[in-house]
Amino acid sequence: MIQDLLAPAVLIGIASSGIRLATPYLYATIGETFGQLSGVLNLGVEGIMLMGAYSGFYVTFKTGNPVLGLLAAIVVGGLMGLGMAIISVTFQAEQGISGIGVYLFGLGMSDLLFQKSLGTVETVSGFQPVEIPFLSQIPVLGQIFFRHNLLVYAAFLLVPVAWFVINKTTWGLKIQAVGQNPAAADALGVSVSAVRYATVTLGGVLSGIAGASLSIGLLNVFQQNLTSGMGFIAVALVYFGGWSPVGVLLGSLLFSLVNALQNWVQVLGIPIPSDFAVMMPYVLTILALVFAVRKVTQPAALTKPFERGEG
Amino acid sequence: MLTSAPHRIQRVELRDIVKRFPGVLANDHVNFEVQAGEVHALLGENGAGKTTLMRILYGLYQPDEGQILIDSRPVTIESPADSIRHGIGMIHQHFMLVPSLSVAANVALGLRSTREPLLDLEVVKERVRQLAEAYSMLVDPDAMLWQLAVGEQQRVEILKSLYRGAALLILDEPTAVLTPQEVEEFFVTLRRMADEGHALIFISHKLHEVLSISDRVTVLRNGQVVKTLKTADTNRQELARLMVGREVLLRVKRKPVQLGPPRLVIQDLWALGDKGLPAVRGVSLEVRAGEILGIAGVSGNGQRELAQTLAGLRKATQGRVLIDGDDVTGWAPDRLIAQGLSYIPEERMEDGVIRDMTVEENMMLEDHGRPPFARGIFLNFSAIAEHCDRLIGDFEIKTPSRRTPLGNLSGGNIQKLILARSLSRTPSVLIASQPTRGVDIGSTEYIHQRLIAQREQGTATVLISEDLDEVRNLSDRIAVMYEGRIMGIVERDEATVEQLGLMMAGVPMEEAAGQTG
Amino acid sequence: MRKTYLVLATLLLAGMLLAACGGAATPAPAEEAKPFRVAVVMPSAINDLAFSQSMYDALSAIQAEKGEENFQFAYSDGLFVVDDAAAAIRDYASQGYDLVIAHGSQYGSSLVEIAPDFPETSFAWGTTVDTFADQGVTNVFAYEARSEQGGYVNGVMAAKLSESGIIGVVGPIETGDAKLYVEGFKAGVAATDPQAEVRVNWIGSFSDVALASEAAQTHINAGADVLTGTAQMVTGAIGVAKERGVLWFGTQSDQTSLSPEIVVANQVYHWEVVLNQMIDLIESGTLGGQAFAIDLANGGEVITYNPDFDLPAEVRSLAEDTVKGIADGSITITLP
Repeated sequence: MIQDLLAPAVLIGIASSGIRLATPYLYATIGETFGQLSGVLNLGVEGIMLMGAYSGFYVTFKTGNPVLGLLAAIVVGGLMGLGMAIISVTFQAEQGISGIGVYLFGLGMSDLLFQKSLGTVETVSGFQPVEIPFLSQIPVLGQIFFRHNLLVYAAFLLVPVAWFVINKTTWGLKIQAVGQNPAAADALGVSVSAVRYATVTLGGVLSGIAGASLSIGLLNVFQQNLTSGMGFIAVALVYFGGWSPVGVLLGSLLFSLVNALQNWVQVLGIPIPSDFAVMMPYVLTILALVFAVRKVTQPAALTKPFERGEG
Repeated sequence: MLTSAPHRIQRVELRDIVKRFPGVLANDHVNFEVQAGEVHALLGENGAGKTTLMRILYGLYQPDEGQILIDSRPVTIESPADSIRHGIGMIHQHFMLVPSLSVAANVALGLRSTREPLLDLEVVKERVRQLAEAYSMLVDPDAMLWQLAVGEQQRVEILKSLYRGAALLILDEPTAVLTPQEVEEFFVTLRRMADEGHALIFISHKLHEVLSISDRVTVLRNGQVVKTLKTADTNRQELARLMVGREVLLRVKRKPVQLGPPRLVIQDLWALGDKGLPAVRGVSLEVRAGEILGIAGVSGNGQRELAQTLAGLRKATQGRVLIDGDDVTGWAPDRLIAQGLSYIPEERMEDGVIRDMTVEENMMLEDHGRPPFARGIFLNFSAIAEHCDRLIGDFEIKTPSRRTPLGNLSGGNIQKLILARSLSRTPSVLIASQPTRGVDIGSTEYIHQRLIAQREQGTATVLISEDLDEVRNLSDRIAVMYEGRIMGIVERDEATVEQLGLMMAGVPMEEAAGQTG
Repeated sequence: MRKTYLVLATLLLAGMLLAACGGAATPAPAEEAKPFRVAVVMPSAINDLAFSQSMYDALSAIQAEKGEENFQFAYSDGLFVVDDAAAAIRDYASQGYDLVIAHGSQYGSSLVEIAPDFPETSFAWGTTVDTFADQGVTNVFAYEARSEQGGYVNGVMAAKLSESGIIGVVGPIETGDAKLYVEGFKAGVAATDPQAEVRVNWIGSFSDVALASEAAQTHINAGADVLTGTAQMVTGAIGVAKERGVLWFGTQSDQTSLSPEIVVANQVYHWEVVLNQMIDLIESGTLGGQAFAIDLANGGEVITYNPDFDLPAEVRSLAEDTVKGIADGSITITLP
């Protein structure tokens, strides 16, 4: 039984399934990484994902064009991110609570709109898997990596892009400085508010795309509470990933691959109680977090509003 | 990165500056002027308005009234970015640096890159090297900031300003974190910058430093300018009087006291710091009844952790602590207090008092459970009231009443309250950690007198301070702490600033004594 | 202070929106008329194409039959948080509804505390057989679906239609209605084609659509050509079945609309059968203490066939015979 897991077809299945499952986490975690690096903890990711998922779905449903749906998710996600920025940066509300507020808003609003506009679960034709010429023909690797929809490819391309932005651009330097020592950044003429508005809004955009990657990418349906807690897992994965795009990539992949693995474990009939199987991704991620020896410290100003002249 | 060619500022003038905060007039029609090529000291106690004035000049605050003129042209400075553009740089008391970034990245932060939006750290590094060489300030541009010693971090701060073409540098209490030798080096750098035509504003409350580095001094008191005078024409006594508004005893009189048996014995004590690395590494000390043992050292060398370990707030990983012969290692604070230990914490607002409670309640924090202040599980309010009123009188605590919320008191008065609370119990051992930091000169003087007087009660005092003058003035013996270790213990009369300074930089006692002859 | 207000305002706004998701399906009852009033609390959305929708559809059907002036109902859906559901149940009870339905097995522990406080109100709890009579509670009806019966019929068809002999099941958590259905399905397959293999994947959640979709992918990759599944998150699995072109059997509600290409048949619940019995009892003064079940015999469970799916006549008639056999007792389903 256990050796069945090592069959090539199964391994390929696990890998490609893990990659699909990791996609929404990647968008959400990278978006949240930007926000947290600049010092804003947005617990509302889940709510923004839901709104992104709904708006992407609805526009695709009405127009038949998933690109327009994606744009809608970007706009709606960005607006919600902007809202979180207004609450947490300008009004300096306690970030944990305002994030929960954003979550509840997204949860309730997406359901309300869904009930009023669609009324029942519908399906759409979203982004279809695109086989990349040549690459998809490579044995094994082609099957694992190059037969997904565009949103999956884009999520993985986002990792190096985010890394580059954070580490190699002046804006990335400002983000890090604002999250570590906002007073220092302010003293050098960096606008702490502007940086945080930008990162939190960007985080909203990416969370919106994360939701759309479900509703018009992976699933092609929308229903109440579609994301069912993925946004909160994403926030945890940002801590796991030590606020680096590569780290959150590893975290998202680990969590998703173990989820894919437990799917196969059950399908192959390996005699492990299903309750234990579904616990595996959570348990392993926590274990990895506990035992991984890393010297990452969180952004010193995380969750702290900045006010000029407070020493 | 583009840096504007350093344009020279000839003269910066602040005219009739008024700044009000709720309930406080921080700057009251202040006039101040600084010229190229001079070091102009701004002297005053905490709360005199120095920092507020400079924050106005740097664009962190807006004045309610008054004008800023650069080379006789009025300017408005609305943000730090504005002031940087005008050629003004500020070195803050708490460094404005990002520990997780490299030196070059810290310098580059907020500047336009030559290849925007990409960083051009190579260009920055090269220019930092040139500047560092020009002003003989050794700094490795590739080093991560958290790896640097405090003195080096300060150099990064100065380089940052010079890089931005600062012609006027505001230095807010820059020597607080340096050893005496580092201060000397630092003064050489300041002199060189002044000679090159920079204007420098040096904020301090240390008289001897002001006297040794500045060309002119402006003294502030209660938000007003008392006087501006040439440094060459004044002296310590006069500056102290201008600053406090009355004659001040610069040295406390000490009666000789007969020392008793050892009350506090520390044997090979080890403790971990906040990051889980050893911060106290094998400290052994003995303090006798009636003695003050001073612990000098640059901040961050384990003094804070040592004090917390002695007070029962941090776990000792190895070694023993004895009070009056009893092994108290690992005891919780309440047992230590019962054993006669008192602790004046370094972070008084965080560890010493509760802001929102009244003066009276704060005074009773340690003793409210003991007779006569408690009868069974009930508080004896009349005893408490009597006790508090007496302490308020005895310790000259300025408060409208014992029922006033503590947060309304000034720093000096809060510290007096903590002192009163600690000393009223006639402790056998007193751990005083930075007892006068951030406290005005008047209160400092008073606290010093009380600490000295406490010797006569047979208290064994450990005085931890980063202010070397304070340690030298009060202590019978001086231990120097460096990287968690005691570098040596020097008798009061034998200790020279030079020797202590070398020890603070990690030179063992014998060697330090040898070097300074 | 303004920060506190802002946070409060945000929370209140969010709360309002959440509250707005439930709501009365009909206007408030007029004073003079005395219609029968039912309130229901449900864990998922009324349009989940599954468990909650089956109850909503049943209440709508009763209303259509009896008329709005005689029968009214209110609902709160999406109450996957049990504490929220408990609060809603208590609210409805105190508003004087004749029957308050706690539509979810997870609500039982709350209901047993609430019901004794409202002895004049009748409650119903499903799916279960427990009326709390052993705890002295007299005003709770229990209801369940004999979902193994429709599961068995689906299993018979699945075994006939599968060419690979591998059939995948996507389930939520191994308990209650879902477990019954899956056991019945397995029995149906085994009775029809002993060689066929049924693989079950419990995803551990009633709501994780993404994981349900990956579970379906996994089944198909492992060779399954017929799938079934239960609970509201199977929409994700149905999407995958459609994309990969494998057959689907639905349960709880009619899921044909989601993918007319690949849905073969559905077991559909008609709770109105048992609800009508409860209403009659309540009107005659009995407020609880009895357990009801819908099944193929009493018409509470119906197999619907997708008209757009070209089901071989032989399979269709086998299915219909199976339904008859179960209803008249000639076929008995043995569960493990």
